[in-house]
Amino acid sequence: MAKAGEIEVDPYEPFALAAARIVRLRADELFDHSENVLDTSDIERVHDMRVASRRLRAVLEIFQPAFPAGDFKTVLRDVKGLADALGERRDPDVHIEDMEAFEAAVQAASRPGIDALVARLRERQARGNDTLAAALEHARESDLQRRLYSLADGAEELAA
Amino acid sequence: MKARRVKGLDPMASLGDNAEKIVRVRLDELTSFMPKAADPAKVVALHDMRIAAKRLRYVLEVTGSCFGPYAATAVKLVKDLQDLLGEIHDCDVQLPEVAEFLEELMAEDAASAGASPKDLARTPNRRTYAGLTALQVHLRARRRALFEDFLELWRDYERKGFAARLAFALSERSQSPEQ
Repeated sequence: MAKAGEIEVDPYEPFALAAARIVRLRADELFDHSENVLDTSDIERVHDMRVASRRLRAVLEIFQPAFPAGDFKTVLRDVKGLADALGERRDPDVHIEDMEAFEAAVQAASRPGIDALVARLRERQARGNDTLAAALEHARESDLQRRLYSLADGAEELAA
Repeated sequence: MKARRVKGLDPMASLGDNAEKIVRVRLDELTSFMPKAADPAKVVALHDMRIAAKRLRYVLEVTGSCFGPYAATAVKLVKDLQDLLGEIHDCDVQLPEVAEFLEELMAEDAASAGASPKDLARTPNRRTYAGLTALQVHLRARRRALFEDFLELWRDYERKGFAARLAFALSERSQSPEQ
């Protein structure tokens, strides 16, 4: 699993300045993990990006009072949308892995039907991939990364 | 589950003081699910407790080093709890999915068979039931075992004073890196 970047914090620094620094870092982590995320042969990529999206969402919610209200609302909505799309792809990935592990662990008599279930899950995985592709495209078109930086700039201005 | 609102946050005040308010609310949120979540049938309470653990973990990951040393220990404990609750949640999601799939296959077979029991020898899904039923048994057993682990883990946290020790650590401040 992707390890989050180390964040050095000073308990006495202004909340808004910490917000700016930490959101920039978490935004970079999210987009760093976006490469080849639609490749279903390597399910760790989507897992890493999903974890990064959760961490980004968490810091947005933690530091909400430091951000300009209007911009914050739309950015958080888009980050949630991307996180949900990553979940739609990730959930069948996990279930397929679990079912394949079950199939490998049990005796032949307990295997019939598992392949059919995996095939059903692969259909869900493909639909999840389509949803994720659309969410990634939306993030690119709406310049989500720049808007996240802009939120961080707003927090810095508040602290100045 | 909607997160409880944290009152009194001030973006111009220090990170430590604001983070303390947030972590106190998130810790209270987590502990409030017990003893309700100790009932294995309370699937929603368990799910919400997992979300509460996730929220506490993420705020501690970012701000834990503002506080006393126990905050770092708490990050690991909360992660272990979240992981375990996540595995229980996976069973709670997968069990109805498997049941629904099995039901679809049985309905298809029922539609294709006639009145004689001998017709069952020709139904299209007749060979799939054994594996899917075994899977249901496995998921139920796994869920029960994981739930026992969860109760034991929480009892251990209570014995070790997890919540009180974290609450105390929140009143401490680490040194500024500049000092």
